[in-house]
Parts: sequence; structure tokens; C-alpha cells
Amino acid sequence: MLRSHSILFGALGALTALAGESLAASTSLAGGPLAIRVGRAETVAKGVIEHAVILVEDGKIVTIGEDLPVERGITVIDRPNWTVMPGLVSSYTRIGMDSEGGDDMSPDVKASTEIFPKSRDLRKVVEYGVTTLGIYPAGNGIPGLAAAIRPRGDTVEEMVLKDPAYLKIVMRSDSASKKRVRDAFAKADEYDEKVKKAREKWDKDKDSKKGKKEEKKEEKPEEKKPGMAGVEGQGPGPDAAEEPKADAKAEKAADGFVPPIPDDKVRAFVEMRAKKLRALVTLTSAADWLHWLDAIGKETIGFDVRLVLNQESDYFYVLDKKTYDLEADGIGDRKIHAVVEPLLTYTPNTRRVRNLPMELAKAGAKVCFTPRFDDLVNYKAWLGHVAELVGAGMTRDVALRALTLNPAEMLGVADRVGSLEKGKDANFVFLDGDPFQPATRIQAVMLDGRFVFGEVDP
Amino acid sequence: MIQLDLTRRLALVAALAVTAFPATAQEGEKPAESKEKSEESKDGEKKKEEVEHWFAIQNGDVYTGTGEVLRGATLLAKNGKIHSIGYDLYIPPDTKTVDAKGYRLYPGLVAISSQGLLGNSSGDFDDTIDPFNYRMVLGLATGITTTGAGSGAVKLKRFSVDGAVVNEKIFSSFSWSNSNPRGKGELHEKLVAAANFQREYREWQRKVKDDKTLVEPTKRGVDNTVLAVLQGEQTAKFVANDRDELLGIARLAQEFNFRPVIEGCQEGWTIADELGRAGVRAIVTPRDRRPKDERQALAGGASIENAAILHKAGVAIAITPATEGVDLGGLVGRDIMHLPLEPGFAVRGGLSERAALESITIVPARILGIAHRVGSLEVGKDCDVIITDGDVLHYKTFVQWAVVDGKVVYDKEKELFFAHIRPRPEAPAPKKVDAGETPPNPDAKPADAEKEGEKKEEGGDDAKKKGEGDEKKKDG
Amino acid sequence: MNTARTMSTGLAVALLASAAGLSSCASSRSADLSELGPGEEGVAIRCGRVLTVDAEDNSYSPGLILVRNGRIAYAGPDRHVPAGYAIEEQPELWAAPGMVELHAHVLCSGVDINDMVLPVNAELRVSAGMVPSNPAIRLACAGGVTTLFGIPGSGTSLGGFGIVFKAKTHATYDEAVVRDPGGMKVAQSYNPERRSGDLGATRAGLSWILEQYNEEARAMNAAGTSTPALENLQKVHSRELPVLIHSAGSDGYPAAARMWQIQNGTRAVLSHGCFDAHLTAPWLVKMGASLNVGPREIDFSSTRDGRITGVAARYLEAGARDLSLNTDSPVVPQEELFLQGAVAARYGADSYTMLRAVTIAPARVFGLDDRVGSLEVGKDADIVLRTGDPLDPRSRVERVYIDGRVEYDRRHDGQWF
Repeated sequence: MLRSHSILFGALGALTALAGESLAASTSLAGGPLAIRVGRAETVAKGVIEHAVILVEDGKIVTIGEDLPVERGITVIDRPNWTVMPGLVSSYTRIGMDSEGGDDMSPDVKASTEIFPKSRDLRKVVEYGVTTLGIYPAGNGIPGLAAAIRPRGDTVEEMVLKDPAYLKIVMRSDSASKKRVRDAFAKADEYDEKVKKAREKWDKDKDSKKGKKEEKKEEKPEEKKPGMAGVEGQGPGPDAAEEPKADAKAEKAADGFVPPIPDDKVRAFVEMRAKKLRALVTLTSAADWLHWLDAIGKETIGFDVRLVLNQESDYFYVLDKKTYDLEADGIGDRKIHAVVEPLLTYTPNTRRVRNLPMELAKAGAKVCFTPRFDDLVNYKAWLGHVAELVGAGMTRDVALRALTLNPAEMLGVADRVGSLEKGKDANFVFLDGDPFQPATRIQAVMLDGRFVFGEVDP
Repeated sequence: MIQLDLTRRLALVAALAVTAFPATAQEGEKPAESKEKSEESKDGEKKKEEVEHWFAIQNGDVYTGTGEVLRGATLLAKNGKIHSIGYDLYIPPDTKTVDAKGYRLYPGLVAISSQGLLGNSSGDFDDTIDPFNYRMVLGLATGITTTGAGSGAVKLKRFSVDGAVVNEKIFSSFSWSNSNPRGKGELHEKLVAAANFQREYREWQRKVKDDKTLVEPTKRGVDNTVLAVLQGEQTAKFVANDRDELLGIARLAQEFNFRPVIEGCQEGWTIADELGRAGVRAIVTPRDRRPKDERQALAGGASIENAAILHKAGVAIAITPATEGVDLGGLVGRDIMHLPLEPGFAVRGGLSERAALESITIVPARILGIAHRVGSLEVGKDCDVIITDGDVLHYKTFVQWAVVDGKVVYDKEKELFFAHIRPRPEAPAPKKVDAGETPPNPDAKPADAEKEGEKKEEGGDDAKKKGEGDEKKKDG
Repeated sequence: MNTARTMSTGLAVALLASAAGLSSCASSRSADLSELGPGEEGVAIRCGRVLTVDAEDNSYSPGLILVRNGRIAYAGPDRHVPAGYAIEEQPELWAAPGMVELHAHVLCSGVDINDMVLPVNAELRVSAGMVPSNPAIRLACAGGVTTLFGIPGSGTSLGGFGIVFKAKTHATYDEAVVRDPGGMKVAQSYNPERRSGDLGATRAGLSWILEQYNEEARAMNAAGTSTPALENLQKVHSRELPVLIHSAGSDGYPAAARMWQIQNGTRAVLSHGCFDAHLTAPWLVKMGASLNVGPREIDFSSTRDGRITGVAARYLEAGARDLSLNTDSPVVPQEELFLQGAVAARYGADSYTMLRAVTIAPARVFGLDDRVGSLEVGKDADIVLRTGDPLDPRSRVERVYIDGRVEYDRRHDGQWF
């Protein structure tokens, strides 16, 4: 307690950070630390805190705890009737984007290039509590790479949290879908072979003394796609070629071999094999799941699934291996994320209602909710739709997580958003009651420490 | 980069090791996919090699489909194949068992053709099969465990997309139709060309040993499909019903020495001997209707006796219903869901009960080129078994369990479709299974008819009962 | 007033009929075991099993049937055959009564089904289009069906009057026909709505028009008058003739019962009863409605609990009596009437009850049970000899007697079916 206290105190001095920001907030308080006192905080990561106090500074959560004392001079917003939860994370959306579907095989297309920062829809979803979005490129087959963004900002760069966040793959029970995936990995094999040969050559050349030719050769591919720069461990950066010289003494410790740059269409698959990129695989039936596993075969790539729900979805067959004695793993066995609509369905050919999202969670999948339809109406009703599933047996914890931390994890931005924890971005939704009660309304939304919705005066 | 590359390779190696034995890999403590140390996966490998999947169906009356019946016997399967059929078998521990006391075991039925049982897929079944679709459940409920699909054969392997396709390309379709005389001429020419090439090639093969300068005969102008038929790699399939057309096909078959499959074959009964001599195999629907062409003096039209007459003349008979899809519209008894009823009409026309059963088991299996795996209950074949509450050809009989590759994939009580109809009494199973309920006067019970059929079929099977011995005979 | 009276008498008669059912004429007659006189024809059929389908469900194995002048003189356990009879030894075969079909469209080539101008055609009769012993009828005979109610189609609300006839294979109109008019054919729900003109495009409209005719017919009955156009409809209202009503669905089936059974007190037989009509089974049974189920024997779509429901079984569970089955031939081929029984049994009904449903039950509800539907003394000698269970497709029909004459003999005629 004391420690946090002193942090609070020390924070007073640092008043600069927000000055440069140009977030257009409907309500914004003057910069500086801000304490928010609410009746209840759903931290998601660490349970519920009653009478919670959150200290926010520089757009981050400085601390959060029960009934923390607040230093004099710190602005306090006191709302004992409010509940606060992390800003909602919509990990699979195209809200605010309007392009048509793309190529069947375009794993190099980036959704982030389509972002229109002035989009009215993006502004609007913030009012419905959404503070992080995973936007994907339109199209079928393998349409490209998704990006994690904040819905506010003047430029794309300002908005992007992570790009790419995942590769979207659409899997259907047909030969074309499977062939697409297999061909892509076959291309990646070819690339591996190329790397191997380049390596051999490089080793040979190095032994016979490094010539200037090689360096030039290696330099060429450096004009790489700027879009991929964000990926950590991505092919050589501009200074990669310099490294051999710099580390020349070190010799073997880190030899300066620079592998060839993969082709645009192959890059994502190379990245996936290197575990630097995950796929989000869209499925529409239980059979699609088995065909997907069959298509990737021995590949050990990381992936999550987007399960399109319809009235008679049959994913219950592939929730786990055990129930139906499957030869392959079930979705839950893989402990992967599963993006679903908050929708109750029927057991096929019956009127027996199922709560498939709940069943998925029980089987071990990390459920991530997406609105029932990707439009403003359904964003507005999002919490209410999830509440229907809670009413049908899903636990509140699972539901909350599926709206926040799970999708944040899936997007690879859980270090910044998705829960109320020290050091994370100050993205909050303030409600006048339990998030899953029908009468509850969103009173205010904070994004990166600024109120972007709601009239809030200290 | 190098390091990363290396780890990936390691991961790949590990993955290879893990997936090499997919069926068993997941037993025991199967770790998450991230296992990377190759030693560990090697450990796993050893275990996997040892794991054997045993499955037994006990105390049932085993109708092998080869004419034999073993009462109250046990069928034991190892890793999806029939290991033994007999009495007092040693059942290894951890064997999954089904008590079939009072029930009958038959080989899983083979539909020579069907629609929709594999989902909405058509072609490329490896990539498109939907092993969860409800029509597959209804197919299994009918007793069908393998179906002809497209030009191949696929098992109704539920819950898996692996290994369902058992034969990819069996048929090549040809037409021999009175309405297309030119097509007939063309086919004949193709056959001549292919036969000539075959002869020249054989000659060249023989002579080239002595004279290396001889040029290999050219394939130019030779139809590959027709050649494949003549070489026995593919089966020629015709759809024909007219006597003239059937005779034409029979003559082609004799002239060029191949064994065609003829679907329809409605007037086959009028020229059964010719078809038999030509080695024709027929896919028939006993209830087919076709009026006699009154302009013809000779016999013609469809006959309920068609299957029986053809069979007697040596034509192998596979039976298919009028509708090859599942029809839930309410008109009952003529779709794939009632496949076992259709051979009943052939029996009505004089076919033996045994041939009737064979027409939906081993004969279609032979036509589909998969008789070494399915179609009868014999040691070494796939453990595709149906367990019924009575004579499989009887109208009231239901499949209680269906087993594919040694795994129960259908249980009447566990699916909604038929569970409510004459629910299965909980164990112990009924002593005497007789698909009916108690009639006001036991004597008056028409359902007794099934017993009559039974007697005929089982005549003298006492002799076949083997008191002991683990192994069951193999049928030629 | 009038309606109430008709209704109460109607119910009373119905009750009487069912009470009297057990001791009805045929079964009470005693066997005639006397020797044949000169000029008399007689055949004694000795077979492996005789299924009488009488009130007590008696069956005899082996059994004996004596046929004398086209009628059954004896049906029972094997015994000494009186002098004069030709003896037929069939120890391998089962004898059962010829089957009875109440919903057949095979009396002509199929084109003469409906006159599509007016929705109500009370003056029409199908006899004009009847082709006796046509191929479909001959096939029916070879399938063991011996008595049929041949009717107009369902394109109009009241298609006209059908005829009851025997499936004789070489007969003239007079030799074949049992009753003409044999009954009325009404169609409600679905079909008549399909091709209606300006008048009566809805169920409300069609029902109203029908009721106009019904009222007129009743009024004439009360006044003791008649017109040629309504003469037969009047007979329906005076219960001289039965009426077969095409209707289906949980909406249409009970609506038909209300109009014909309750409001008009006619001898109504509700035909079809398909789709989800079985959901109303308890109510229909309570109304004492006579149900004639088919050609659709299962329902899947509407119950929506993943169950494949045997429709006949559902009616029987609700307590339906004298339930009969139909083929709506040629929707299901006429000769496959037995298969309707087989599949109904498969999907939950009792086999023996289903045998009754294609023999004595339809005969009873159509007032034909004094002549056909069972093997009892005094009835028409309509006998089918098969190799086994009448409902099993494997049982081959070897011979069919109608009115004591062999109409089909497999060995002699070749196997037609």
C-alpha cells in the first residue's frame, strides 16, 4: 500500500506525456494523474475488487486496488454506483472498413492498409465500450493479415497496436481449401531449400574468404516490404547487412549469414512455421475442423479458430477428443482461442437449445466473442447478447474474459489491454450496474487514459 | 535467424515423430503440441508401437455373410481388423466389448451407390467428406458401412476424415445406347484400337529381349480409359435396360474380354444366359417398372424375377433401391434408408436369401474392388459389423449398433432418430429376439414369417458350430 | 336443429356400429359342412396356415378353407372335407384375406381424375371412366389386393363419387363392381387449394362452398325431396354412403373431422393424415374419427426432435380403432399396399394390427365387412395364398381367389409381382 502510495506521489511530477496526443475525446480532463473510485471493478485477470480505486497516468494504469487512499491534489472521479471493466476487445471485425473480398490466395495483403482513421463507425463503436479491434482483410481463401488497432487516432500508425496480428485463413470442406494450405506450405518448403542452399554457398564463400559480390547480393533483398517491419525477428532489417562486419570478430558465435527474403506469398507461412505469426482459421462446421487438421498435417504452426455459428452448428462433435472418440484432437484439447458469436443454437434436427460457446469454454477453448453481425446495431447490443448466454449457463467469468482478455491474447496485445492490471493501458468501460443485466447502460468509456465517451466531471 | 530456423526444424522433427502413429499417439499423457525434445517423442514412439486396440462383440449369432452362422460366438478385432471369430476366445484386458447376446452380427452392408451419406460432398471425398452429417448416421442406422460414391468407394467412417476412401477410381462410364448408334461405333473402334495396341505391345515385350532395336509400339490414337478397362485396371460401367443394348454390351465384353458392370439391366432376365456367359455383373432394382414394348414379339419389360433369373445364369447381382438418397418426405421403403428391403423383393422373385444378402454385401464389395476388406465377416478383413435385433432382411429389424474399423459408430439408443421405436431393453439383452411385440394370439402373428426364412437359411448350421478353437475358417 | 339431430343420430349409430362390431353378421354365421349338391362349385384349400383376421384374430396351422359358390363355407382347423369339393393342398402356403384399399386412383388410365371447373362436383361419378381389369388393377391383384375404392382426384373440394370394385383380372364392369356409387370423395387442405379459380381459393372459401351444398342436401333430406345433382350427396347425409376425405396436417386433419364427423354426422373416413397431423391424434380418437393413413408413413420435419415418427404408430398409441392404411396409388404402387403395413410396423406399430389395417379395418369403416376383409363363413371368398407373412416383401403371392375364382396364379400366369 505504501509503495503504491509513493508511486502516486511521484507521478504528480510527470505531466507531459499526453500533451502530444491528439485524441479527439468527447470529454477529456486536464492531464496529470487521475484517480477513479468506483463501486466495483471487474479486473478479469484477478477477480472482482469492491470499492476499487484506479490510478491512471500517462494513459496507463498505475495501480488498482480496494479502497486505496488518494493523495491530495490528485483529481478524483468518485462514482460509487459504477462498475468498471476493461475496454471490450473485438478480435475479428471489419467495422469501419468497406472494401470487397480479395484474392483467394493473398497472404501478403494487410488489413491495416485499409484503415480509415476518420471512420464514423470506428468512433461509434467506442461508445459501445470497444477499445481494441482486430481488423481482418476481406475475402475468402487466404485473404491476408489482420491488425490489432485502437479505434482512435489521426493516423494509421497511431492506431496500430500490432500488425500483423494474425493470418486469416478460410477453411471449407473442399479440395480447393486444403490444396491452398498444402501448396502454401510446399512453397515454404521450397523457401527452406533456398535458405539451405544460400547457407551452404555462404559458408563456402566465407571459407574461401568473403568477397564483395556476396554482400551486394545480400543487400538487394533488403528493400523489403515496410509493412512487415513490425514483426519481431522479421527478415533482416536495414542494418542486418552491416552486422557481419560489426561482429566479424565474434566469428562463429553469430555468423553473419543473411537468408534470402521470402516471396510475398510465402512470407506469412515462413513466419508461422517460425512461430512468429498465428493463423485464425475460419470454419463453418465440425467437418471443417478435421479437414483443417488434415490439411496442415505435420505442420506445428500456431493457430486459433473462428467458428461461424448458425442455427444447427455441429461443433459439439469436435469439442474434445474424448466424447466421440475422435482420432484427431478436439478444439478444446488444443487450448486455442475460438472466436464465436454470442448465439444460442440447436442440436441439429431438433429444438434442443445448445450453448456452444459455453461448451467450447468447458472443453478448454478460450472463447472470444465477436458481435452477432459486424455492424453497429450488434455492437450496441453486444453485452446484451452475451448476457443471453450467461442466462443460459455460461459463467460470468468466462463471458467477461471472452470479451476482453481472451481476444487480447489472441491478437497478441494482452500485455497492453484486456484486463485491469497495473501497467496496462487505461481502457475502461464504466457501467451503472452489472455488465450482464439488461437495464445496465454504459456511462463512460476511457481509452488510453482519456474519456472518449460520457460526460464525466470530477 | 539461424537459430530460429534450427528450432523450427527441431520442432518439425518432433512433430513427425508424434504424428507417425496418429491413432495411438494420443493415448496416455499426450502433451501439448509444444513438445520439442526428440527423446521424449521417441519414448512415445515405443509406447505407441505396443498399443493395440482390441474390440470384441460377444455372445451374438454371427452371420458371416459367407453362408455360415455361429451361434453365440465372439468376434474379436485388433486395430480395426477382424482377428478371430469363434468360441472361448481369449479376450485381452482393456478390450472394448459389446454384449450382443440375443442379437445377430452381419457384415456391414455395402451400398453399391448412394447420395448424400457423405455430406454435401461430391468427388474428392478425402477432402470433402462430412463425417458428422446426419445422413451418414441414417446410413449406418440402415446398416450401410461402405458405399460406392462417384467412381470410388468410401466407408461411413464417422468422426474422422482419414482413411474413409477405400478405392478411388473403379469405374469408367461408357454408353451403349440404341439412341446413339454413332456412339456405339466409336466405342467399338476405340476397343479395337486398344486391343490392337495391347497385342502389339505384348509382342514387342516378347521380342525386344532378343532384338533391342525394336521400337515400342505407339499409344497414339489409343483411348487410355478404354485401355485401362482392357487391362483390368478399371471397370467399364454401362447404364442399359433394353434387351438389344444388353446383348450388345455382352458381345463387346466377350469380343474384347472384359467384365462390364451394367446398371439397370431391366430386360436382363430375357437374355440371362448371354449375360452370364459374358461375365456381366449387374446392379438391379427388383421393383423397377418397365412396360413391355408391345411391338416386340419377344419377352420384354421389367420382371420381379429379374434378379433371380440373372443370378441363376451366373450374373453377379448387386441390388440398389429406386432412390439412392435419404428420403424423409414420408413415402417409405424405396430409398437408401431402406436398402435391406429391396433385396426382399428379389427374394419374392425367387432369389435365395443368401444371394439376397450377398447382393448388398460381398457382391457390391467385389464390384467396387474392395472385397478383400469388406463385405463379409472373415479373419483379416476390416471389422465393419452391424448388430441387429433380427434377420437383416426383415422389415422390422433395426440395426442396434454399427461398427466401422472396430469402433462403434452408431448406437440406436444414443441417436434420436429411432431410439423411441421399440427401445432396447437394458442388459441383459432379450433372450429371443423377434422384432415384434406379443400378438393377441401368438399363432396368428405374421411376424413369425421371418422364422421361416431363417430355417431355410440356417439349415444344418449345427454342423458348422465349432465348439472350440480361436480361429475361424477363411472362405475362398 | 337439423344439424343437431343429424349429429346425435350420427353418433348414436356410430356407437351402435362399434358395439355390434364383435357380433357382426359374418362371424356369427355357422359353417356349412354339407356335401356339395349337383351344379354347385366348391374348392377346399388346405394350407400351412390360415390367418382369418376375424374378431378373435384366429389363425390355424394347418388350416382349411371351404369355398362354396364363391363364398366361404368354412375357415378353421384342418378337418375332413365334405364330398364334392376339389381339394387344393398347399402345405407351404399361408392363406389370408384379400387386402382392401380405400384410396385408389387406378380405376382408369390416370387422366380421368378431376373435372377442374367447379370446386364442388356432387353430381359426378367415376364409373364412366372405369376400365375394369386394367394393367394396374391386375398388378394389384397379383399383390394380394382384392377390393378397392376407386376415386376421383383431389383437385377439387368435392371430386365426385367413387366405386367399390374387385381387382378381378378378366372381368367386365358388372362383374367387378361391388357398389356404385361406393362413396363420396372430398378433398380438403393442400391439393384443392392448388388450382382453384376465383372461387374458393382459401380453406375458408372452400369450406363455405362445401357447407352450402351440405346444408342444401340436409334440407332436402328433411323435406323428403331430391334433385339428380344432389341425390348422392343426400345419401352421404343420410349415412347410406360413406365419405372419404383427403386431408392432412395438424390443421387440415382435425378441420375435416369437425366438418364431416361432428357437424354433418356422416360416415367419414379421414384419409392421408400425413405430415404433422398425428400431433392431433388424441383429439381425433376422442371424436371417434376413422383414420385411413397413407401414403406417407413417417414424419420427420415437423416433430423437430430428431425423431423419425411412424405416423400409424402414433395414432394407435392414442387409441385409434379400425385404423386403415392406403397407398394413394399410384403414389405408392397399388400392389405394394402390404408394404405400407410393413413400414408402419417397422416404425412402431404392431405387425398384426397392420395386417388388420389393410384388410378388415378398411372393410369395416366402409361398410364392406359383411363381404370382405376377413376369412369368415358367408363372406366373399377373396383369398390370397402366399409363401409367408403377408407384410413381408419376401412373401410371394402364389394365388389369388376373388369370389372363389382363381384370378391370379403365379405358376399359370407367370409372376407379375
